[in-house]
Amino acid sequence: MKTRQWKILLILLTLVCFLLPSQQVLAEEPIVLGCPLSTAFLYGWAAERGFKLAVDEINAKGGVNVGGSKRLLKVEVIDTRDLEPGVPVSEALLAVEKLILNKKADFIMGGPVRSEAALATMSLLNKYKKVSIVTTGVLTPNYHAMVAKEYDKYKYCFRIHGEAKNLVGEMFANFSDLKEKYQFNNLFIIAQDVSHARGAAKVMKAVAEKKGWNVTGVEIFPTGATDFSMALLKAKKTNTEIINIWMDMPESAILLKQWYEMKIPALPFGSTLAAAEQPGFWEATDGKGEYTLCNVVNAGNAPSNATPWTMEFYEAYTKKWGVEPEGLGTSSSYMAVYVLRDAIERAGSLDPDKVISELEKTDLMGVYGRLRFDPKSHQVIPANDPKEGVVGSILQWQDGKRVVVYPKSIATGAIQLPPWMGK
Amino acid sequence: MEILIYGTINSVALALYALGFAMVYGVSRLPNFAHGALYVLSGFITWSFLNSLGLNYLISILLAMLATGLIGALIYQFVLIRVRGMEISEIMASYAIGLAILEGLRWGGFKGMTYTLPAFISGSTEIAGIPVDYQRLLVVGIGIAVVGLLWLFTRYTRIGLALRGMAQDERAAMMLGIDSDLMAVTAMGFGSMLAALAAVLLLPLGNIVVESGYNILILAIAVCIVGGLGSWMGAVLAAFLIGFAQILTVVYLGSHFQMVVALAAIILTLIIKPSGLFGRQKELEERV
Repeated sequence: MKTRQWKILLILLTLVCFLLPSQQVLAEEPIVLGCPLSTAFLYGWAAERGFKLAVDEINAKGGVNVGGSKRLLKVEVIDTRDLEPGVPVSEALLAVEKLILNKKADFIMGGPVRSEAALATMSLLNKYKKVSIVTTGVLTPNYHAMVAKEYDKYKYCFRIHGEAKNLVGEMFANFSDLKEKYQFNNLFIIAQDVSHARGAAKVMKAVAEKKGWNVTGVEIFPTGATDFSMALLKAKKTNTEIINIWMDMPESAILLKQWYEMKIPALPFGSTLAAAEQPGFWEATDGKGEYTLCNVVNAGNAPSNATPWTMEFYEAYTKKWGVEPEGLGTSSSYMAVYVLRDAIERAGSLDPDKVISELEKTDLMGVYGRLRFDPKSHQVIPANDPKEGVVGSILQWQDGKRVVVYPKSIATGAIQLPPWMGK
Repeated sequence: MEILIYGTINSVALALYALGFAMVYGVSRLPNFAHGALYVLSGFITWSFLNSLGLNYLISILLAMLATGLIGALIYQFVLIRVRGMEISEIMASYAIGLAILEGLRWGGFKGMTYTLPAFISGSTEIAGIPVDYQRLLVVGIGIAVVGLLWLFTRYTRIGLALRGMAQDERAAMMLGIDSDLMAVTAMGFGSMLAALAAVLLLPLGNIVVESGYNILILAIAVCIVGGLGSWMGAVLAAFLIGFAQILTVVYLGSHFQMVVALAAIILTLIIKPSGLFGRQKELEERV
């Protein structure tokens, strides 16, 4: 072969070498998970970390098998800011639209975090035919009720974590125990002026009265309120034994510190009490948060042995991020990626209708129990036993540690009362 | 009794939020919309001195107050001085700076609810059977002392008299040889230090969060508008009016309306007496 021919062959070979991988890359475009999250808040950044951990694990194993070809996952996050005072729903909607149109998200995962914004996003998901799995915040029962009511319109919406009604049920299971053990009968409710908390406070009051509790007061505080003295004094005056708190705003730390300093003889039993969920809460309050209870919504957001995967996830998360899973949205965001991966692999495509159909058939033993969706409402099915469904997790701060006290099937301790309650 | 106790505490807290804003506006007629951001920034500076550098708490506080004062003065000297007298530009520039500070803090990783400052004194006592914690009592004590010292400062020191002169009549003050820009820088520095003082006193009650900057700004503006823009004593009186109104609202109407009080006070003042209780701005138009 002449030198000239050799040269041409060499050039052709080089071209082939360059072209081959680029074709492969084209064939393996990553699957984009668009995550609209309020990243400055716990429920936002914890979800982002959960997603990224799961994505890293799946990608390390070659990615997602879509109809025979392996595709990697990619996380795109836009800050929705919807947990800020004023609940800027329009900003959250813009973030979702930007994820779909600019970032070319194949799926929407995570938020928007605030219920008001998530409800407003449902129509947008229908417009763009994007499958979404809500994994953090969004506790309003209206979310899955809307899917059940108008399935064809809202079939794209799934929720993989517990909702307000589950939380209310979990609360009352504990209240009943406390009533039986200590003859508690007086309940005071403090809620933040946001959709899920207002709704939950209303439900709590109705259920409490039905169950024979004396509701000594219901106080709704606007987001950003900085003084809770009047409510605490009212609770004290009315011999309240449990203060039920529905508040995810940062100022809830003021409430808890004030409760401790004033030695109010009532147990602070929170739900979505973001300030108390984080592992750094103890240090931040100089231990004044002791005895505070809060619902972190799903197991895995606090240490327990709900399933064999729980502590495996817990340790992997701690290793990657240098902090323990911090609260609502962590384990659910992590699991959502695995659930979606399985659904895509079974569907063999990214076609929304096929993925929806497979998501409805999900049956996976995850970090916080057996994961299944109600096929009509797309709400994850809750249970008290992780073998039956997804379990919640209520923790209490005891001697600097987050101790899971509910459900009993995964509890690592029992509820303790502050000594100034004299019980 | 609890209304009296917690109304006073709430009022002193509002006065502390607003004094810095009132001082800057009083002297330089500059509405410092970065006030809330400086409040939050000083909290994080104190936290950083205390936790990252391991300095003594008192030293951390003093250094943070000085640093915030310096930052305030620099903001005036390098940015706001260029738009002085142009009201809309002043508002936009100072708000933009505030926004940049708050977003910068967030971008720098200061997010979450675990940034806190320790209380000076832990524990509580009872006044007429009402439990009150020592930190809140300290806030009242120091708040009253600050108002008193500010009164003395503006009457018995050269700088204080110059600031008062500027606040009363800028042209007359300039005719007497007072450097208008220097006084405005000084006022911005002192105003920022007052924001820092409020922060180190009040943040130990809760936590340091970026979002509270906007809230503090609204409260400070509400107090200053009701009291009369530019009047320090008006601000103190307005703080008590709004502070007690908030507590009474919580007790008799519901905690739900607590935040509405400040905003309603702004609207009512602007309708009934736009110059506020002790303000001189627009007073002439009102009389006419």
